[in-house]
Amino acid sequence: MPFCPNPDCDHRRRLGEPAEFSAGVTRCSDCGSILSETAPHFETAREPEKAAGWTCPQCGLINGVDLSLCSCGYDLNRPVSTSSQNIENVSAWHCPQCDSIHYGNSSRCSCGYDPGELLKPHRKLAVEFHGSSKEYFRIWIVNLCLTLLTLGIFSAWAKVRKKRYFYSHTTVDGTPFQYLGQPIPILKGRIIAAAAFLTYYASSHLFTSLLPYVFAAGAVLAPWVLVRSVAFNTRYSAYRNMTFHFDGKYPDSLKALYLWGIIPAFFLGMMFNWWGKLAVAGVAALIFGISFPWWIRRLRNFVISHSSYGNKKGIFSATGGQFFGVYFRSGLIMAGVLFVVGLFSTLWIASITKKTMLIGWLAAVPMYAGYVLAYAYVQAHSSNLVWNHTRLGPLRFHSTLRGLGMAKLYVTNALVIIASLGMLTPWAVMRTLKYRADHMRVLQEGELTEFQGSDASAVEAIGAETVDFFDMDLSL
Amino acid sequence: MISLEGTYYDGRVPVAVPARMEFTGGSAALIAGQSSLHYAASLLKVSPRIGTADRFIALPDNGQFQCSVHPFLDSLPQASPSEGPVAWLEEKWGIALAGIVITVCLLLAGYFYGLPFAAERIAARIPIETEQALGRHAVVWLDEHKWLKPSELDFQTQRDIRDGFDGLLGGLPLKSYCQMEFRASNILGANAFAFPGGTIIITDDMVKAANSREEVLAVLAHEIGHVELRHTMRSLLQNSAVAVVAAAVTSDAASLSVAVAGLPTLLAQTKYSREFESAADEFAFNLLKQKGYSPLAFASLMERLAIKYETDEKTFVYVSTHPVTEERMKRARAAAEE
Repeated sequence: MPFCPNPDCDHRRRLGEPAEFSAGVTRCSDCGSILSETAPHFETAREPEKAAGWTCPQCGLINGVDLSLCSCGYDLNRPVSTSSQNIENVSAWHCPQCDSIHYGNSSRCSCGYDPGELLKPHRKLAVEFHGSSKEYFRIWIVNLCLTLLTLGIFSAWAKVRKKRYFYSHTTVDGTPFQYLGQPIPILKGRIIAAAAFLTYYASSHLFTSLLPYVFAAGAVLAPWVLVRSVAFNTRYSAYRNMTFHFDGKYPDSLKALYLWGIIPAFFLGMMFNWWGKLAVAGVAALIFGISFPWWIRRLRNFVISHSSYGNKKGIFSATGGQFFGVYFRSGLIMAGVLFVVGLFSTLWIASITKKTMLIGWLAAVPMYAGYVLAYAYVQAHSSNLVWNHTRLGPLRFHSTLRGLGMAKLYVTNALVIIASLGMLTPWAVMRTLKYRADHMRVLQEGELTEFQGSDASAVEAIGAETVDFFDMDLSL
Repeated sequence: MISLEGTYYDGRVPVAVPARMEFTGGSAALIAGQSSLHYAASLLKVSPRIGTADRFIALPDNGQFQCSVHPFLDSLPQASPSEGPVAWLEEKWGIALAGIVITVCLLLAGYFYGLPFAAERIAARIPIETEQALGRHAVVWLDEHKWLKPSELDFQTQRDIRDGFDGLLGGLPLKSYCQMEFRASNILGANAFAFPGGTIIITDDMVKAANSREEVLAVLAHEIGHVELRHTMRSLLQNSAVAVVAAAVTSDAASLSVAVAGLPTLLAQTKYSREFESAADEFAFNLLKQKGYSPLAFASLMERLAIKYETDEKTFVYVSTHPVTEERMKRARAAAEE
């Protein structure tokens, strides 16, 4: 059997042993050296080189050297005893992209994620939120008070002030974002939104014969509203003196929203009573429900792939199947909770002799808890899915939200807000933003100079341009 | 001379360069590494003050300088001048406290006085014809879905009640819109409704539950009250205003908006509903007395219905759409004695 005699051969570097070939091979496939027939004897034994990273003893994920915290929560600097860990878990790894757990030897996730890719040289850009509840409380109450005093007109200023606060207290790599929106375009957008809402409200409550026309107008305008609101929010967001940009146009938006025709068909059917029969309605709802995740993917893809920063467009790689998985699992959570609640409340109600309406209300509480869990799961995992499958030039994102964590956050926030009669709302807002920032990482693979700004993307250019009539914020 | 340490961004690449800006008189100099650039201070644009966050100075050549807050920055040209006074208000605790007081007072005053007052005035200006289509749709829908069925009352009973109903309407401003219909219903029990636009429906069970024609007329007088007082339009206006304000106030905590905004909205809207019921009761008592009937008929019918449909309404006083029956009976008796 021929062996590679080269002591510095790549194969020997990796594995510590010289490469061995089958008979007839004359050159080493790793270094090209002419093979020798006998096993070479080297003076110094070579240990295989360590991979540029560390394997988490808790979940098995390979993390980059500069990360000290694994996405499963394991901290390299404060290791906990692993003796209590399940043996099975040691050989498992957790895909940060689609959240599935892989056991044993599979080195690539079915979603296409390769843990080896994390070993590419990269730098972690810290994402931090520095907002203070006290400071934000004053901003919140002053703007709320002025909004009420001006019968809502001031709400445009309030929105600007709040967004400025959120942006300027969120830093990536130490630099805060900058919100450049001005109150007047937002006020314009709000007046138009209010007029549209009034039209809808009057036609749905009073002039019901007009409702189909109002819906038709809404369906025609919806793609335009989507484009305008995304364009406004990207254009007026800046980082390091470069604004974001969105180049989606009405036809693209129309395609993304309606191409499959399922959404409009479903609502048209509801309007004209096509789904009058229960069985037909059930089938229509089922088709609608199953295709919904693919529709969501289309929309996300439309927004991300038309957004850019410094001439680099976003690249989105999540599949509709992955979105379906998120919604399906949330459905399972909901069904599980309903089953357990249904079982126990039936037993409990049966044991009570004096039945009052109060019992029906009490049974609704755990049912609502099931809804909250499922909702938090969708929020956390669809957000993870979107971020972890988005690439922007040399940047990748790593979002590690957990459904249970989000549910805890939502419930405690709601309880605190109700108990404080709303006065602790700013605290809840700050807490939520901090939680989200804490679960977000930005990984830089390559140089930030790959982003190329232009005269049009500079912050100064935004203030100098003449604002056209349709420059307004239609997002709520 | 004022010197500020900070960071420079050229707008070409997102790279932070440590820099310093020096202001002397009307001119500004940016010093980054070896190079220095000079500008007229009047051409700079400073981003609005928000909390203690860093501020950005936009430079005329598309560059940008970031530095921590400094009082001097307020003397430079501002990018968004209208926000200056707001920023000033946001920084004082005293003003925040005043803000709490004003907000609470505004919400309470608007809720108890402003909104009902405004809704009444606005409803009076909207012709009742606008509601008619809505009411017609509702009745057709209930008929089609078998919630309501044709009445099984004999002709004589119907004519008796109809005559009494027409007698009640005599002289009322909206009498030409009030139309009474008889319907049977297994689902709705002993009930009567005033639909938008003036259609009044009374169920067979209700007529049977009444001991006399006077008791039926007492119920109908209550429903006429809803029509005459424009309660459909007023509740539409008031409830939508409550929903809009609740959404605006709780929008920051929107993640569980149903839990946070739902309860206050429900409390506010059911309180308005109970007020409308009481107002319709008052209207009915006056109308009955005016036409020579006694409000006592209303009390006795209420009492009989309460015994028949025993509920634990006291548990839900604050989320109920109707006032407590006992209260309504007490007021009917008081009205009869006057």
